[in-house]
Amino acid sequence: MHSEQHEELLSLAAVGVRLVGEDSLEYERLLAEPCPTCAALLPELRFAASSLGIRAPSRSPSAALKDSIVTAIRSDRRPATRSPARSAGFAPWAFAAAAAALFAIVLIDDARLRRQREELRARSADLAQRVERDRSELARRDLVTRVMESDDVRLLFLGGHGPQPEARAKVFWSDKGKRGVLVAGNLQPLPPDRQYQLWVFADGKPIDAGVFDVDPSGRTLFESKDLASIRTAENFAVTVEPRGGVPQPTGPIVLIGTPS
Amino acid sequence: MNSRRQPEDRDPSDAALVAAMEVRDADAVARLYDRHAARLLGLAYRILGETGEAEEVVQDVFLYAWRAAATFDPSRGTVISWLLVATRSRSIDRLRTRRPLAASEPGGRDPLADLPADADVERGSAAREWESLCRGAIGELPAEQRNVLELAFFEGLTHQEIAERTRTALGTVKTRIRLGLMKLRERMRPYWTREGNA
Repeated sequence: MHSEQHEELLSLAAVGVRLVGEDSLEYERLLAEPCPTCAALLPELRFAASSLGIRAPSRSPSAALKDSIVTAIRSDRRPATRSPARSAGFAPWAFAAAAAALFAIVLIDDARLRRQREELRARSADLAQRVERDRSELARRDLVTRVMESDDVRLLFLGGHGPQPEARAKVFWSDKGKRGVLVAGNLQPLPPDRQYQLWVFADGKPIDAGVFDVDPSGRTLFESKDLASIRTAENFAVTVEPRGGVPQPTGPIVLIGTPS
Repeated sequence: MNSRRQPEDRDPSDAALVAAMEVRDADAVARLYDRHAARLLGLAYRILGETGEAEEVVQDVFLYAWRAAATFDPSRGTVISWLLVATRSRSIDRLRTRRPLAASEPGGRDPLADLPADADVERGSAAREWESLCRGAIGELPAEQRNVLELAFFEGLTHQEIAERTRTALGTVKTRIRLGLMKLRERMRPYWTREGNA
């Protein structure tokens, strides 16, 4: 249902006002509602808000800036679109390689046996990895279940912020368990040297709660580190940091919650 | 005469340049830069008040545009609005990381205090038209609505902070932001519709 209050919240968000307290929660609820009018209004209000940028007088950039940008772009090798499939040229080479391999195996039996051994070894290593992955996944799910079923579990909403206004997340937090589970979506993929880092605010200070990556659709399910040292979590935020994380936040905040 | 210059052919639209960036045409970025870098730098500078940092933001925005060209949706706004929003959010992020320092200074920094006169920058007629529409729309807003919108947009303040700064009730701040932005939306609507259908 669309109302004046909804227009107010959407206007605040569109102009870039940091929503806090009840407004933040209300905005999260609004975004979760099936409201086609709101969904259409928000981008239009953002477009209108961008017109305010015209109020800043233009400035001539330094001569080096353009060169610096163009050089960076020309050295950026990341493809913007998917590479076309290469199956057309692959088959003849594959057949030729297979034929050559078969020929070699027939001629040199010792080489065949060696290769079989290597294959078995590789398969065995692969199976061991899978078992390990399954074991970790099981442990992870067990932890998530324990956190979510804790009798003191709290649910906090994190809204998109700064460069990623569309990002969304929830944190299930247990003060007793000293752990939280973050469920996030709409996060942008990051360059290989960057990771998202979760911060828990305790006594007004951010505490590292671990780093995580997102899947190609921008989603993640991530459990925080064991934060035995903190008494209670006041708020949460996610920043973009160098891979491996940093002791104190340095990068842009992309998700932030509502202080309790 | 048939040999007359045809601007449509020689000056591709911003949206066409972004589409070219999607297929990795670096020249398209250079052309987009020529059109809009001064405007974006002006915005970053107004928020940050420091040229070096403002240029870093502009560089970051063009790299973002290059990498995210495929995500630009012409039905959700113009290229310049897309770039302005990206510039604004990156600048405000930087501003917020240094706000605790600024807050300790008496009176804080006034980012409007040392603005130069508008630079003489070449821009395409479409950009000039859009700017003219924006200026007209913003100019028609009542001063109190324009003021709260600018405090939110350029200084990244929360509505509570705006209420304190303007010594106005919180509810009044929210109402002014809503009314001001809804008016801007109405004035910008023809352009929105035109871009969306282009």
